[in-house]
Amino acid sequence: MAESNPAVAVKRSASAGLSAISAEAIEGLTELDELERVYQQLCDEEKQVESELEALISQQGNIETKMLALQRMGPNLQLIEGDATQLSGMITFTCSLAENVSSKVRQLDLAKNRLYQAIQRADDILDLKFCTDGVQTALRNEDYEQAAAHVHRYLSLDQSVIELSRQGGESSAVDASLALLQEAEQRLKALVKERLDQAIADGDLAQVERFFKIFPLLGLHDQGLARFAQYLCAQLAKKAEENLLLAVGGELGERRAALIFADTLTLLLEGIARIVETHQPIVETYYGPGRLYTLIKHLQVECDRQAEKVVDKFIQQRDYQNKFQIVQSSMMRSMSTEKIEPRELDPVLLEVTVMNSRAELYLRFLRRRITADFEVGDATAPKSTVQEHQQSLEKLLTHCLLSRNMQELIGYYIPMEEYYMRESVNKAVAMDTYEKGQLTSSMVDDCFYIVKKCISRALSSSSIDCLCAMINHATSVLESDFREVLYNKLRQGFPATTLQDIQRGVSSAVSLMQTSLQQGKFNTLGIESAEDAKASFLVTLNNVEVCSENIITLKKNLESDCSKLFSQGFGSGEQAQAKIDSCLSDLVSTSSKFKDLLQEGLTELNNTAIKPQVKPWISNFLSISHNIEEDEFNEYEANDPWVQQFIVNLEQLMAEFKAGLSPVIYDTLTSLMTSLISLEMEKTVLKCTFSRLGGLQFDKELRSLVTYLTTVTTWTIRDKFARLTQMATILNLERVTEILDYWGPNSGPLTWRLTPAEVRQVLALRIDFRSEDIKRLRL
Amino acid sequence: MSMEDYDHLFKIVLIGNAGVGKTCLVRRFTQGLFPPGQGATIGVDFMIKTVEINGEKVKLQIWDTAGQERFRSITQSYYRSANALILTYDITCEDSFRCLPEWLREIEQYANSKVVTVLVGNKIDLTEKREVLRERAEEFAEAQGMLYLETSAKESDNVEKLFLDLACRLICEAKQNSLVNNVTSPMPGEGKNISYLNCCS
Repeated sequence: MAESNPAVAVKRSASAGLSAISAEAIEGLTELDELERVYQQLCDEEKQVESELEALISQQGNIETKMLALQRMGPNLQLIEGDATQLSGMITFTCSLAENVSSKVRQLDLAKNRLYQAIQRADDILDLKFCTDGVQTALRNEDYEQAAAHVHRYLSLDQSVIELSRQGGESSAVDASLALLQEAEQRLKALVKERLDQAIADGDLAQVERFFKIFPLLGLHDQGLARFAQYLCAQLAKKAEENLLLAVGGELGERRAALIFADTLTLLLEGIARIVETHQPIVETYYGPGRLYTLIKHLQVECDRQAEKVVDKFIQQRDYQNKFQIVQSSMMRSMSTEKIEPRELDPVLLEVTVMNSRAELYLRFLRRRITADFEVGDATAPKSTVQEHQQSLEKLLTHCLLSRNMQELIGYYIPMEEYYMRESVNKAVAMDTYEKGQLTSSMVDDCFYIVKKCISRALSSSSIDCLCAMINHATSVLESDFREVLYNKLRQGFPATTLQDIQRGVSSAVSLMQTSLQQGKFNTLGIESAEDAKASFLVTLNNVEVCSENIITLKKNLESDCSKLFSQGFGSGEQAQAKIDSCLSDLVSTSSKFKDLLQEGLTELNNTAIKPQVKPWISNFLSISHNIEEDEFNEYEANDPWVQQFIVNLEQLMAEFKAGLSPVIYDTLTSLMTSLISLEMEKTVLKCTFSRLGGLQFDKELRSLVTYLTTVTTWTIRDKFARLTQMATILNLERVTEILDYWGPNSGPLTWRLTPAEVRQVLALRIDFRSEDIKRLRL
Repeated sequence: MSMEDYDHLFKIVLIGNAGVGKTCLVRRFTQGLFPPGQGATIGVDFMIKTVEINGEKVKLQIWDTAGQERFRSITQSYYRSANALILTYDITCEDSFRCLPEWLREIEQYANSKVVTVLVGNKIDLTEKREVLRERAEEFAEAQGMLYLETSAKESDNVEKLFLDLACRLICEAKQNSLVNNVTSPMPGEGKNISYLNCCS
């Protein structure tokens, strides 16, 4: 019902208070049922209306009190309206006032700016006037610094302001001042140039510096630097010429006479360095950073000129070119009419390297100074400018005449140093001596002394390319020339001294004796030369080994020397390092070539001196019967039939080598020898027959031999004798099947080096073992 | 990359008159650059480039020498250990061609007898300025038993080919010398530049 309430209310309002059932509809009703139903409906409606009315009436009081309150509020609202109108008026007023004020402020601001400009211009004009007057007075008083300061002030004024001033009311006055100023500027420039030139001509340093400082104030930086450099160059030239004259005319008895040109060049370069050192602060202070390059560029021209004079005099007085030509022609043709004693080249080679190292030092100094100066100047410059500066610096340093002259000197130096090295090494080889008791002969030490000296001298030039070239030449001398000498010595071989040879030696000695007796003198050349040849072979082996070690040492030393050079800032970084590393690695690779040569020599020695001796000693084993009984075994016990003599023979044979070879080589040789013995023994044993006791005898013999050999070598030889030891074990068995106690799963820690076939072969050597038993074995 | 990360190491030395473009050839090959206004080389420069040939890594040590006379004695010291020499001249400069016999005498005197020599005529981009005819140079190279190639470092013509074919040839000779003849030696043209490995083939 509650839901239908609003619907009913709507219906009611729509039908203007009428019931939902129209009067006509009621009148048309005829049936009782219908009437009752409508009546009922109407009653319901009435009841509802009544209750609604009641509800409305109950609200009446409430509404009345509310109306009363509203009526009381009326006057208050009128009051509020009045206030609001008043407020609005006030706001409008304030707003217009504010706008008024701000426009005035804007105007004020504009006025202020104009005022400032006016003041600035007035100031400028005043300044201009002040400058004009100041310049006049200063010029009159010869106070050039003051005058220049005024001009500088004028030059730093905004040119547009000056233009504007000329358009002003006082144009004529300003024009006049300007004209005066410009005239003063020109006069001052001319005057300052003149005075500086005068000062330069007089060589008056104080005046030169005074006017030099004025140039940048007049915007004449480059001219100032050029003139100043001109003065410095004149000073430089004077001093350098004096020094050169002194050098050329000096008494050659002086201690440093041999280095007089290097010293003269050093004085020149040090002089320039000192000039740069002394004058850099003024240039920096008065000309600003980034200007040192310009000054040095001017100075370098004079440096080049003076250095060339020194170099020319050096070439002339030291006969440098001529020496080079003689050296070159004698290197081209090995047979030459004119030859220079290498020792004669020593001083001139030293002097050139000193000269070059001084030049390098000087150029490095310039590089450092100019780079630092550019860095300050280019702190905010674009990258292109920085690069451009770097390039011009590089060009100045690498392509200056001084560099070129030095490159030429080094160009001649390298072949001469190479000649010195080759000739001296040849001489060392020719004068090779060997003292008894020494392992190596003199030429190895001499040769490496020479090579080291030459490379060190090249290194002292501070030129990386020169050093690399000499390392290359040293590699060539060692690998080709010197190795060839040693190789040829080894190729002559170790004279064999088998029995026949001794006989031949004796007979030739006899015949020699006869001939020499006939000639009335005794000559033992035949025997001695064989002994000499032996000693020479062994010494050469030692020499080869020492060479290979020396090369490694040489490389290591050079490496540390070079890193010292690099740490001082020589060489342009990675490039130089890579070049030297490459050249050094070529040098060190020759070491292994000497090692190969040593190996060849040892093989030769083993083949010619050891093998022919050892083989017959081992074959003697065949003549000792090992098919023996108790009696013979005991006899052998008392008088050893073979092994003791063999050991004695080996001892005697090796004694010569032990004394004559370095421990390392001797060790390698004994290793070769033990391999030879084990191989030969194996072959020999397989040719013998053994009884049970014979096997025991062989076992004893082998043990003695291995024990002896272990004492003479530091290599482990057990391994080399493993097969033989196992053969001895087999020959020592009680019966054939006993082998199974050691074979296969029963071998324990033992690793068999013999194949089953070989085991059967060895078992068959025992006369008391039946071949059927051996065949029946399952191995 | 470790120092020993290669199968072959060869030393190649470039020689020839000043200004024929040796440095540019090396720069083009090693760095892919053509630096205009290249200054004269001082002494020797040293570059390394590793290339791949038939799956083998070949390290090329390239020594770029100064052409100027005063550096000759420095340059000469590198001849002996060189595996290959690239004798360069400038096709637009008759003089640089005429000097070749002099260079050959140098090679004769200082290089080892097994050295491989390639004659290179550079600057073929300057066609209109050519002074040395190709046929003439080819004839000369053949008479002297040298390989011949014309290049342009500027246009990058034949530069890769020059170094890679040379590397192929050096491998070939190295294999013959080491008596391992059963290994097939690479033929010229099989060289691959590691840096351009994935380029169009």
